[in-house]
Amino acid sequence: MRGSVLPIENNLEETILNFIKEAFDKKCIEAVILPKRIPSGDSFAYLLIKDKSILEGASPFPPVIPVQGAKAISSLTRQGSVKKKILAIMHPCEIRATIELFKLKQTTLNNLIFMSYDCPGVLPLSDYLENPDENDQTFLAAQQKWDSKDMRPVCKICTEFSAPASDLHIGQLGTDEGKIFLIPNSSVGKEFLNAFGLNSDVPLDEWEAEVEKLKKERENNKKDAQEKLKTKVEGPENLLETLSSCITCHNCMRVCPVCYCRQCYFDSDAFKFPPDNFISKSEKKGSIRLPSDTLIFHLGRMSHMIHSCVSCGTCEDACPMDIPIAQIFNLVADKTQQVLDYKPGRNIEEPLPTVTYQEEELQEFEKPYSETYIKVEETNV
Amino acid sequence: MNKNFTPKIIYFMCNWCGTGGAESASAHHLYYPENVLPYRVNCTGSLSTVLILRAFIDGADGVIISGCHPGDCHYEDGNFRERKRVATIKSIIESLGLEEDRIWFRYVAHGEGKRFVDTTTEFNDYIKKIGPNPLKERSDT
Ligand code: SF4
Ligand code: SF4
Ligand code: SF4
Ligand code: FES
Repeated sequence: MRGSVLPIENNLEETILNFIKEAFDKKCIEAVILPKRIPSGDSFAYLLIKDKSILEGASPFPPVIPVQGAKAISSLTRQGSVKKKILAIMHPCEIRATIELFKLKQTTLNNLIFMSYDCPGVLPLSDYLENPDENDQTFLAAQQKWDSKDMRPVCKICTEFSAPASDLHIGQLGTDEGKIFLIPNSSVGKEFLNAFGLNSDVPLDEWEAEVEKLKKERENNKKDAQEKLKTKVEGPENLLETLSSCITCHNCMRVCPVCYCRQCYFDSDAFKFPPDNFISKSEKKGSIRLPSDTLIFHLGRMSHMIHSCVSCGTCEDACPMDIPIAQIFNLVADKTQQVLDYKPGRNIEEPLPTVTYQEEELQEFEKPYSETYIKVEETNV
Repeated sequence: MNKNFTPKIIYFMCNWCGTGGAESASAHHLYYPENVLPYRVNCTGSLSTVLILRAFIDGADGVIISGCHPGDCHYEDGNFRERKRVATIKSIIESLGLEEDRIWFRYVAHGEGKRFVDTTTEFNDYIKKIGPNPLKERSDT
């Protein structure tokens, strides 16, 4: 792989903002989508910026993800493609979710140029809100040292933190002090850099080696974290105990980028039952919890979308009860995506597992029949 | 094996082959355990994951799904769609340490009365061996 080198002026943020301003001037783009601190100062929001003076003080590398970027993109393109060239800067998990939404026909990507970066992670949203000023400092230090100790649990174990299927990627790993790599990651990215006047002829071996190294580290972290999580959630006792504080607010579903349904099944009339149904259940079990159906909501939601779960952690950030819901989804997604041989956001051409079926696949899930099965005992029915 | 335990088993079968298998069994006067409750769906491809989960979480000790053999589905690939859903659900359940083997997927064709009866009996015996589904007693699901 080859890319361009960009010198860092003052700091990374400023360098990227200046780069965007120059892209405006060179007519490479007509607008940009990126986060900016909200006026109250304690959070960030995505802005579609047409006037480049508004870029002043924007935050291409925010310390939190209050709204998943894929949601921002799909809200923009709900009624069709954008006609102007727009650059969108987002975390790798947000770009991966956008790709899933594209495959699900919930967004169009024409004229959008996606820029990703080696992501050190972000802070838990609720922690951040407690003291934004102090946490800005914590984040800055963590970002510079690639130290994930204060980052969200899913960030600590994220192995897809670098170059997703974006158009342009900012490589920070393996660079000399004071430099970053700009890596064209698609034909659109290449054209962009050409139009900008940058040659992409610098070898990226060191970046690739560093990314691999961190990936290995994160993979090990993930193994350990998943083993630890299992001791808390595995089995009916543990799982129901972990979910017992769930207030079924369905926030986790509403903020999830890949749970795009306008009417969620679990909020619909198909999921409501007459009183007799509850009474007969409580007769059988002695009592039932109201509202019911916590477990079927979570497992059912997984069964709808787990193949596309990008482990972005947005659900966990939104949970008012501190349930490690994204960590649980990550555990399940890892296993299920491996079985289905699918990685969300890996490749825009790769079809969703829910739309392709082959005769010769997943045969291990068929229970083999042996003609010679002999009934155990006649008497015990 | 607990001899006093009569499991509750939900048997989802497609309207064509699955049900045809059950009909063949009755034509040949073959008997299947009466605690196996057949539940007919048009094609296994129309059986949603949530319905299977509802059975698994809310009262059944085991769930079996039978549709047409590969290539025989009356709607092209409904059986393969369902196989993928079963693979998904079983992977979800397994990764959370719940008992994925309480859900079986096996093709049964029209005319395969013996295969239908063997399947019900084999599954019934298996579920008796592993005992009641702990989820069905829980009031906090
Ligand atoms: S849980 Fe299922 S029905 Fe609800 S929004 Fe997600 S995918 Fe759609
Ligand atoms: S389930 Fe949670 S971690 Fe997975 S994509 Fe949705 S919000 Fe992100
Ligand atoms: S956000 Fe948390 S409390 Fe609300 S439904 Fe999801 S897991 Fe339960
Ligand atoms: S009609 Fe039998 S599985 Fe589709």
